Amino acid sequence: MIPQDLKFTKSHEWVRLGEDGLATIGLSEFAVDQLGDIVFLELPAVGYATAKESTFGTIESVKAAVEIYAPLAGEVAEVNDEAADNFDLLAQDPYGKGWLIKIKPAQPADMDSLMSAEEYEKHLQNA
Amino acid sequence: MTELRKTPLHARHVALGAKMVDFGSWDMPLQYAGGIVAEHLATRKTAGLFDVSHMGRFIFRGAGALALLLRALTNNAAALEPGQSQYTIIQNEAGQAIDDAYLYHFDEDEYLLVVNAANRQKDWAYFQSLQPGSAEVDIAEASDEIAMISLQGPLAEEILSSVIDAAHLPKPGRNHLSRACMEGIDVDVARTGYTGEPLCFELFVKNCDAPAIWDILASRGGVPVGLGARDTLRLEASLPLYGHELGTDPEGNEMPIFACPLSRFAVSFAEAKGNFIGKDALVRQHDALGKIQARDYSSLADLPRIVKPLAVLEKAIARQGSKVFDQHGEPIGYVTSGTMVPYWKTPSQGAKTGPSSAHEMRPICLAILDSNIADRTIVQVEVRGKNVNAMTVPYNLRGKTPPYAQAVIYEKENQSTS
Repeated sequence: MIPQDLKFTKSHEWVRLGEDGLATIGLSEFAVDQLGDIVFLELPAVGYATAKESTFGTIESVKAAVEIYAPLAGEVAEVNDEAADNFDLLAQDPYGKGWLIKIKPAQPADMDSLMSAEEYEKHLQNA
Repeated sequence: MTELRKTPLHARHVALGAKMVDFGSWDMPLQYAGGIVAEHLATRKTAGLFDVSHMGRFIFRGAGALALLLRALTNNAAALEPGQSQYTIIQNEAGQAIDDAYLYHFDEDEYLLVVNAANRQKDWAYFQSLQPGSAEVDIAEASDEIAMISLQGPLAEEILSSVIDAAHLPKPGRNHLSRACMEGIDVDVARTGYTGEPLCFELFVKNCDAPAIWDILASRGGVPVGLGARDTLRLEASLPLYGHELGTDPEGNEMPIFACPLSRFAVSFAEAKGNFIGKDALVRQHDALGKIQARDYSSLADLPRIVKPLAVLEKAIARQGSKVFDQHGEPIGYVTSGTMVPYWKTPSQGAKTGPSSAHEMRPICLAILDSNIADRTIVQVEVRGKNVNAMTVPYNLRGKTPPYAQAVIYEKENQSTS
């Protein structure tokens, strides 16, 4: 079940805007499942400036290397070191413990242009 | 959309929840529920079970069959007694590979050639073009009648012995064949494989018997392994894959057959082969290789680059096409295959060395590099814009102490000065 409070990109990233104003970003269950065994994850450092629809990291499976795209412009405030040490978290809990980065969004209103959970589900069905 | 072809085991893969992919127009399992890493590790610790029925199978019969095979393949088919097989290459006049293949001589009167799935139509058309048109050679397309199942790993011998009586297993040693019976089903058995496992078997059965054979072997401990792990296993064993280590290189140039190290076992200049297709070119490549191995680089033009295994020394994954540079920043070649592979940690002490229960991952590759690059040389591989250290190594895996094939791990300190 896709958590209904999340917003999504066409490239399968999800965003959750927290009460602290930080946007948590991760990869959808679909994306993680498609990857299979994750063998490498490269995340940016705190302070990195993300740009909307630009890559901020790379995730690799045995078969392929895939870029991760920022849904929003902002500044990286936190990086999930736990996930970087244990890739299993992404498959086990892609919308929770498997989060990748938290950013301070430059324009929180940009969230509105992202897909809702329902729209993302439709997007997956059409793919 | 044309429908993908299905092997006789297709329903088994789907029932096991495999992720299916289009492989050369076949609907094949990339991985099962456990994943590529688990399947690779299972093959190295117990036994992997592979459906390889998608590969092409041609049967050559007739008085002229042997002569055709001696001319059109690089190896010496005349050296095969019934009950023997050999690795071989389908070569062109320039000494480049049309495909690599395995030739099986089960019976006195016929030869079975197994070719890559992706090249089946090309290979078939090629052999048809060589046929003199006389009745002396009969080439039959058997790909749609015979299925092929592979069983590889430390427990493979034990598993097979539990269902085939010992007298009907092939003689020990790679490349031996036998005809056997498994629970009433006829099975042709070969000690061949594509994983680097010393205990290896490939079984040929009629299509209708394939599911039963699969079920028997799975129930005895064979772990289903998909194409993803098939690739990581062969990469770890430094075995070539057509389109990567044979065929065209990442620059689009046709690779000489001897650029691939395994070619030493696939090419024969025996008298029986006479003036076979590509002989002159292959002789030049072979002579150049001999010189290069003695550090004589006077014939580099005949073999400018050779495929070598690399151990990547940093946490980065080099893949096909990644550029390779020497310590001065000069380009020396490209990665032909690469990924992150798992390996079992082995206890460092004690007489009994087998896999422990812990595993690690390591990035390795095969790369086509200038022939004058020596072993244990530190090189730079470009991974996503950054240069990472890697080292040329003789092998990444050793299968010299059956039943296990063990990973060979290199530290940066083992380099040579270049």
